[in-house]
Amino acid sequence: MAQQASGATERIYVHPLPVRVWHWINALGFIALILTGIQIRYVDLVGLMSFRTAVHLHNWIGFLLIANFFIWLLFYLFTDKIRVYHPELSPMKHFRGTLRQLRYYGYGIFRGDPNPHHVSVYRKFNPLQSMAYQIIMMLVVPLQFFTGLLLWDLHRFAGAVQLFGGVRVVATVHVLCFIFFTGFILVHPYLASLAHPPSRHFKAMITGYEEVEKKPD
Amino acid sequence: MARLQRLDATMRAAMRHFCAVVLAVAAQPALCAAADAVEPALSDADAACLGCHSMEALARSLPDGETLSLHVAAGPYARSVHGAFGCGACHADIDASVHPAQGKDIQSRRQYAIERAEACGLCHADAAERHAGSVHARRAAEGDPLAPLCSGCHGSHAVTPRTAYETCVRCHSADLAAHAKWLPNSRTHHEVVSCAACHAPEAPRMIDLRLHGGAAGWVVEQEGATPFGELARAADADGDGLDALELRGLLQRINRDAPGPRRLRGRVELREDVLAHGLLAREEAIRACDSCHRYGAEPFRNVTVSIVGTDGRPLRYPAKAEILGSALAVESLPEFYAIGGTRSPFLDLLFLLALAGGIGVPAGHMTLKWLFRKHRARRAGSGGE
Repeated sequence: MAQQASGATERIYVHPLPVRVWHWINALGFIALILTGIQIRYVDLVGLMSFRTAVHLHNWIGFLLIANFFIWLLFYLFTDKIRVYHPELSPMKHFRGTLRQLRYYGYGIFRGDPNPHHVSVYRKFNPLQSMAYQIIMMLVVPLQFFTGLLLWDLHRFAGAVQLFGGVRVVATVHVLCFIFFTGFILVHPYLASLAHPPSRHFKAMITGYEEVEKKPD
Repeated sequence: MARLQRLDATMRAAMRHFCAVVLAVAAQPALCAAADAVEPALSDADAACLGCHSMEALARSLPDGETLSLHVAAGPYARSVHGAFGCGACHADIDASVHPAQGKDIQSRRQYAIERAEACGLCHADAAERHAGSVHARRAAEGDPLAPLCSGCHGSHAVTPRTAYETCVRCHSADLAAHAKWLPNSRTHHEVVSCAACHAPEAPRMIDLRLHGGAAGWVVEQEGATPFGELARAADADGDGLDALELRGLLQRINRDAPGPRRLRGRVELREDVLAHGLLAREEAIRACDSCHRYGAEPFRNVTVSIVGTDGRPLRYPAKAEILGSALAVESLPEFYAIGGTRSPFLDLLFLLALAGGIGVPAGHMTLKWLFRKHRARRAGSGGE
């Protein structure tokens, strides 16, 4: 059955306030970090602001986002909402769910098939999102912040820089994460718009409530 | 009365000088033997001079009330860059037939230092010329007693190659903290950027990648070992400067025989050390970060690989500028990175791909959705499959 023909909907509270606060600060902060990062790295090509202004902004926003990360971390660590990040322990089940989601984005969505993932309070991520966000939030984001912190004061963190393999390695990892987040920040809003109506997920991240199709009894 | 006091002071000074000379001459054989034991390279003439001047107490009272030390430490002098030239090279104005009975007319230590600086310029004309236009020379000409003359930075007799950092910080240690107020990563900048690289803004700069032994400090060329230059030439197969692979080969060769891991640490230096004498006032120093932190910036177009020579001077071998951003050199240069200056074309390509993918994938997906809109409408109208 085509998705547009779905039946009644209900409102469920999927994004608690701390998550929404974290999300929007993070979104704006990452855009600012990417723009200042581009200015810092490509000062010969981009003229949004002076190099020094870009560095100072980049540093301050970086610290703000590190603090913001702990809002997210502490909220999930001390509430049962952490269940949304629980991994699927059956690899086969996870693999099948991921393939089903990929098939939907790459084929079914064009035909008007319904999204195979049904959002609920504790399952707001589809299998693809679940895997991606676990990697992003527990590996890529901390790595980006950690390498940024080391680069902020190489002298103070000289020992950690050495352990990491040297400043060149630290900077390369930081830039690789920056490249990843540049792609991510462009694709993420588009994926968020693949709902009916396209504004549904955006409204949910503002109000906390998501309109979802009622499951047939 | 005042004249009597001055006369008395002069007579007492002359007496002290005389006694010192008598004592020194009496002790000369022993001192010469000691000097010979420390540095056999000293000539007989120099040993004769040091017979008196190696006495720590040897000093002269000056008319302005200051005391001028006439002591020269024999060992450091012999090991200095001037040790081989002998005392007479710089003190040609001393007439041995009347010295020390006829002392030089020295009014003050400052006046003497100014005279001596003129002697330095006889050999170091290029340095003197650069110095003449410097903030140090301008301040000295204005009568600032703290403005350094040659000996203020280089010392008088124990002149050895030192980094600009070591030289400058002796007087400007307070300025290190002042940099931290506006310069991000200021301590790292002080470690890897020569003071003159910013404070002699007209001087051409370069990146010097120098061998470092970690806790052991800068690696110094060992006598008897294969010279660094020979190893570098052997690694540089085509003779046009080391590329990333040749640099890796050179490091592997060096590390094969090294007692500990050797790595390269980069520094922004002046291409000609002598240009460091033309230091300008802080208002005229380079403050624009992007004079270095932009792709292809002037210092990053000239690269050398070096080791500290046995005399303390760097021994440099040219390398290709591309190695600074080459993905193949990450392993060889893990400890050198400068935003912009070492930008990697490979990472630039990845960034372009991320941008293209980030824009192209949603755009392509959206286009496909638009192309299939009628198909979806038909399916929705027919109630499904």
